[in-house]
Amino acid sequence: MSSPLLDVWEAASTSPYSPSVGKGAQFTIAFLLLFTSLFLAGVFSLNRSIITLPILGIPASLAFGFGAVYMICAVGVYV
Amino acid sequence: MRSFSSLLSCIAVLSSFAAAELNLSQPLLSKQVLASTFKPPQVFKNVNLVRTTNLDKGFPRETINVIIENVDAKPQSEYYLPFESSLISRVGGLEVKDKKSPEKGALRVEVVGFDTASSTEFYLIHLPTPLAPKEQQTLSISYSVLSALKPVPAQISQADKQYVQYTFSVYTPSAYLTEKQKTKVKFPSADVPDYTTVSAELNAEKKADPQKQGSTFSYGPYDNVPAGAEELVSVRYEFTKPIAHASLLERDIEVSHWGGNLATEERYWLSNLGASLKNHFSRVEWQKQSYMNPPTTALKALNVPLAAGALNPYFTDDIGNVSTSRFRTGKRESNLELKPRYPIFGGWKYSFRVGWDADLNTYLRKLSTGESYVLKVPFLEGPKSPEGIQYERIHLRVILPEGATNVKYSTSVPIVDSHTDIHKTFMDTIGRSSLTLTAINLVDDFRDRDLIVTYDYPWTAGFRKPIVITLGAFVVFTAAWVVGNLDTSIGKKKVA
Repeated sequence: MSSPLLDVWEAASTSPYSPSVGKGAQFTIAFLLLFTSLFLAGVFSLNRSIITLPILGIPASLAFGFGAVYMICAVGVYV
Repeated sequence: MRSFSSLLSCIAVLSSFAAAELNLSQPLLSKQVLASTFKPPQVFKNVNLVRTTNLDKGFPRETINVIIENVDAKPQSEYYLPFESSLISRVGGLEVKDKKSPEKGALRVEVVGFDTASSTEFYLIHLPTPLAPKEQQTLSISYSVLSALKPVPAQISQADKQYVQYTFSVYTPSAYLTEKQKTKVKFPSADVPDYTTVSAELNAEKKADPQKQGSTFSYGPYDNVPAGAEELVSVRYEFTKPIAHASLLERDIEVSHWGGNLATEERYWLSNLGASLKNHFSRVEWQKQSYMNPPTTALKALNVPLAAGALNPYFTDDIGNVSTSRFRTGKRESNLELKPRYPIFGGWKYSFRVGWDADLNTYLRKLSTGESYVLKVPFLEGPKSPEGIQYERIHLRVILPEGATNVKYSTSVPIVDSHTDIHKTFMDTIGRSSLTLTAINLVDDFRDRDLIVTYDYPWTAGFRKPIVITLGAFVVFTAAWVVGNLDTSIGKKKVA
């Protein structure tokens, strides 16, 4: 029994999908990112200025964004 | 007094005999099922037809092997298969194969209703290559009939044997003249107390009809049965097993690229179509007999084989977690053993949900052409048992990542409806694309069928979730800075 999509599946047999962060590492990565985000936010709260806003705010926001996505996966809600 | 009670018990015994006979509330008639308004063109004839009715499971499985011949002057490719409209709604998983070359796969089949007022509807079988005049071809038609077994008697005691009755036509319904045909009925055991005998005059060999061989009965052969002829017969046989019937199965398959996970959840609305209990359920009697583990009509446990690598299973119902389940993992297969909260006797219902996770890499592959992916998942998993399980309606939902487009699918399971829409859940902004497939009247024989889905998923769509959260967090930082710089002091501004 062959169908066009089955042929597509067979043709892609050498490239199974693997995420950039595996299931085992999700919690560690997520914790580190969220902790970094918290630390940078703490530093920013001590010295709020137009210079520290991009210097600390952007990395802290990025760490929080990716950290939140990995943390929700690590606790079992796979988004 | 004693004689009065013995008289009563005699009456009770006699009445139970009466109740146990063939229940013929519908008279067994010969009739003509082809509607007067539409008659398929008589371009074929059935040279030889052998039907096998297998009653091993809780639903009859019919296999019809038929040699068809084109009797028209032109090549023909449309073969009609008639069913009564009350029956066609319960016919499931109809598949037609070319007996000589089964590797070519199932032929294209569709349901056609020519006349809503008519009591007959048709399956139309498209032959892949038109059959030339006088040519022959062998078709193998297989299907199951759901909700077809009727327990007779309808009420039994907790430890009694169950007998079920099945009514069918010994003449296989056909839209064409059938030159020679035979029906074999395979019972689960040789305990068949009642069956209809067909007059020996109808039989081509003038023998007693049916012929019995152990647990197999054969009706026929019959010669030159006209198109649309039916001759109903009933058989009643022992079937002390549960008749598991899911009126609805909702099955969700959720793909997570970020988590590398395939989450499956199945929600069942299950009932047992077997004979109901005559008296109240006796826990004491149940516990006593469960020690010896005799055959019973109650559904005690469900065995759900899962693919190897299944993780984190759960089994809950309306109350909450059901703790009577076991999960056994193995290298080749995992096994989820579910025990409902109570044994499900005839007429009883139980609805529950089970779910599990799996690693995505065995189910999802990336295409070399770019940002497209191909997903291959089983269409149907669920319990596996010798008596089988029938599904009246299945809603399968494949939830793809947010931003997946160009969704295509292919499956060998007969589908009645398909659509894509948007499913919103955690951390979604625009919602995920979901593909919903609906199938009706499936049985557990379809467990090993696959569903293949392809979709495009650009990497920019993948970064939507963290970027949205990042922007939100940055807005909070900016707001903190703005609010922190507001001068809320009272009085004149001090000039430094």
